[in-house]
Amino acid sequence: MAGAIIENMSTKKLCIVGGILLIFQVIAFLVGGLIAPSPTTAVAYTSVKCIDVRKNHHKTKWLTPWGPNYCEKIKDFDEAVSRQIEANDIVFAVHIPLPNKEMSPWFQFMLFIMQLDIAFKMDNDLKENAEITLDVSLAYRDDMFDDWEEIAHAIELRKLKCTFGSPKTLESEGRHYDCDFLPFMEIGSVAHKYYLINIRLPVNERKGINVGIGEIKDIRLVGIHQNGGFTKVWFAMKTFLTPSILIIMVWYWRRITLMTRAPVLLEKVIFALGISMTFINIPVEWFSIGFDWTWMLLFGDIRQGIFYAMLLSFWIIFCGEHMMDQNERNHLSGYWKQVGPIAVGSFCLFIFDMCERGVQLKNPFYSIWTTEVGTELAMAFIIVAGICLCLYFLFLCFMVFQVFRNISGKQSSLPAMSKARRLHYEGLIFRFKFLMLITLACAAMTVIFFIVSQVTEGHWKWGDITIQVNSAFFTGIYGMWNLYVFALMFLYAPSHKNYGEDQSNGDLGVNSGEELQLTTTITHVDGPTEVYKLARKEAQE
Amino acid sequence: MLDGHVLLGWLSSCALLGLLACAPRPSAAYFGLTGNEPLTILPLTSEMEEAAVKAHYKVCDRLKLEKKQRRMCRRDPGVAETLMEAISMSALECQYQFRFERWNCTLEGRYRASLLKRGFKETAFLYAISSAGLTHAMAKACSAGRMERCTCDEAPDLENREAWQWGGCGDNLKYSNKFVKEFLGRKPNKDLRARVDFHNNLVGMKVIKAGVETTCKCHGVSGSCTVRTCWRQLSPFHEIGKQLKQKYETSLKVGSTTNEATGEGDISPPKKSIPGHSDQIPRTTDLVYIDDSPSFCLMSRYSPGTSGRKCYKDKNCDSICCGRGHNTQSRVVTRPCQCQVRWCCYVECKQCTQREEVYTCKD
Repeated sequence: MAGAIIENMSTKKLCIVGGILLIFQVIAFLVGGLIAPSPTTAVAYTSVKCIDVRKNHHKTKWLTPWGPNYCEKIKDFDEAVSRQIEANDIVFAVHIPLPNKEMSPWFQFMLFIMQLDIAFKMDNDLKENAEITLDVSLAYRDDMFDDWEEIAHAIELRKLKCTFGSPKTLESEGRHYDCDFLPFMEIGSVAHKYYLINIRLPVNERKGINVGIGEIKDIRLVGIHQNGGFTKVWFAMKTFLTPSILIIMVWYWRRITLMTRAPVLLEKVIFALGISMTFINIPVEWFSIGFDWTWMLLFGDIRQGIFYAMLLSFWIIFCGEHMMDQNERNHLSGYWKQVGPIAVGSFCLFIFDMCERGVQLKNPFYSIWTTEVGTELAMAFIIVAGICLCLYFLFLCFMVFQVFRNISGKQSSLPAMSKARRLHYEGLIFRFKFLMLITLACAAMTVIFFIVSQVTEGHWKWGDITIQVNSAFFTGIYGMWNLYVFALMFLYAPSHKNYGEDQSNGDLGVNSGEELQLTTTITHVDGPTEVYKLARKEAQE
Repeated sequence: MLDGHVLLGWLSSCALLGLLACAPRPSAAYFGLTGNEPLTILPLTSEMEEAAVKAHYKVCDRLKLEKKQRRMCRRDPGVAETLMEAISMSALECQYQFRFERWNCTLEGRYRASLLKRGFKETAFLYAISSAGLTHAMAKACSAGRMERCTCDEAPDLENREAWQWGGCGDNLKYSNKFVKEFLGRKPNKDLRARVDFHNNLVGMKVIKAGVETTCKCHGVSGSCTVRTCWRQLSPFHEIGKQLKQKYETSLKVGSTTNEATGEGDISPPKKSIPGHSDQIPRTTDLVYIDDSPSFCLMSRYSPGTSGRKCYKDKNCDSICCGRGHNTQSRVVTRPCQCQVRWCCYVECKQCTQREEVYTCKD
């Protein structure tokens, strides 16, 4: 991999390339900040208390809070008591979306969280560790006057985590508990226009179901979905980025195959990074507009996971291959210690994701966090993944430290070396430092923007211009890592130019042989090994 | 006579509200507990079940609104229902907050009408709780899908839909604030009393705004916080009522600093009046009042007085009986106890008999 384009490029050209990349970077930020709306919207829904007036509940009947055939409502539960309506006949109904609106496939996903308004009553106190049992069902229709079609039905348990701010005396009766919100539902595609959620709270005293859950006043839901405008901008970006990365990938691989030698590990890793980037880029989400593919959310997670794993592996291998010590690596097996944690960590997260979003494909109301065992399992996976990540970063930091130590060692002995070898080392050092610099810059940008988007409100107003910070963060960072991969493949592709073009009168003892050697492997050539390797090379040939 | 007053439960006294209509007021008509309409707590649901298209027109007419308010009410069947709910919510909360006070938020027509003619602290509270109730009820009605036009309502229908598909709509609270501001009308210019009322209305809305909590949910890759969505939610109306009650206790008296004869008065706290600045409404979130409140001890135009009121010994008997002392009556009562309640609709109780002391204020 010696003699990459970056080493042979003049500073002027390098600046031009850098400038062009910077322009694209700024464009990526502006696209998100100025064109796109905020990435997601949260809509608050208050459930309407409907009465299921039928005598027996053989078939599920859908109760609609408003619109045609709306249900018979009650205002509060005092009314239910006076009218002698049983708990099992009360259905909390939520129509999604609100009147005069419709959902669209561009929303990509919907997730709902549930908030319970529980009032304190002296004779109906909320028990410690109370659990609420919900009989939930979800239906859809595409026309206001169609019948509802069932999507899912489940009986779910949720733990109530509530605190009460004031003393539990007669005086504070009627005040509300402060309850944590509960995960309610997640679906990975929004293929229909209208959705309906019906929630029942069945009471069974003998089995202790829904006993001691306090006086529930209201059930509120908050629905979160991606904004259509953001989806469009995102798709456009993906559609534009896919061919750009694909083209540079083809160009890069052609360069490598044009060379006489077999590709070295680092070149393969860079290519693999390109592949994983393209895998993220390919806008298969376009299909979600036409098809009801609920697994898109899970698929997106997997694609991102693969890319992150690839990127982390690349950094390790890049450091290793620039170590400039005696070890012959050039094999993935030589990095098992460092790549191992990445593999274990991403596998853990994959299993966790399958347990959460994978099961949600079958039952959208499922959440791993609702059960004791599930929570422990999930925490275990996340902790293992966290430990792996820490381990990885320790290794990485140690390797970077080693490289720098070797660099400083080499730099002192540089003047004494032969020109080819000196150029080789200078090339290695420059390449390493350059990548180190842009990687750190990219990582810092990511972290800074992440923090900024977390602490600020969704948008900044600048006179008439509104900048959507969160959208800018997403498009900007996404664009940035694409440019990173692009630049990597472009600048670290093997160069056609040789060191020795104007070096024929150099003081090299070995010339073409060493050059061949230097371009074949970036591992260390020092003293006797050099001769030995040369001999081996000849023997192989 | 005592038995009649023992039933102090605020729910039961509510039923009394609808009995009397009150006289029209001189200053600008507001809404809710401060409006012209009789405080009839209508049976909301049965009213709205009628499929008749213009059913809500009737409700709007009964509310005795101003011209502009009536137009806003008729615009959407949901508005009428929400206005009704706002009234009952504010009334219940007012009575709940003042259940231990001398003035126990008696809203019977003539007392309320006389109160509203003056600028007492109590009047200030009524204004604030009315506007707060409306803001709260409106936001809630939006999220329950009761209103046809809610957020995203600025543009015509098609653009509306496009706005929703492109970037979602604003939140309910913003809409309800806008609605209430429009509903209550513009800031009055000259009349001191009208400006005090307007200020107190704004205080109610500000308390709602200050009680808004932002909650966030992370939903990035594997539930990480790379993607986070936040929304704002209202605090329960009980909290709002509690805060307004505190504001009532610390309310400021304002007087006119300039010539009353010309009618160009300024509202400002008497102590720190700034002569140079005209049009000074104290830029605080304090409630303001003009007239000192009566004692509410004896029967007057403003309240039925506290004679015969049930009080709590060691708690408020001294204060609400105004030093007249209280009668103690010992009775044996049978009442439900050790109740087992399911979350709704069914209560299983034992009947317990116990001796109970009832304290009522002397005449």
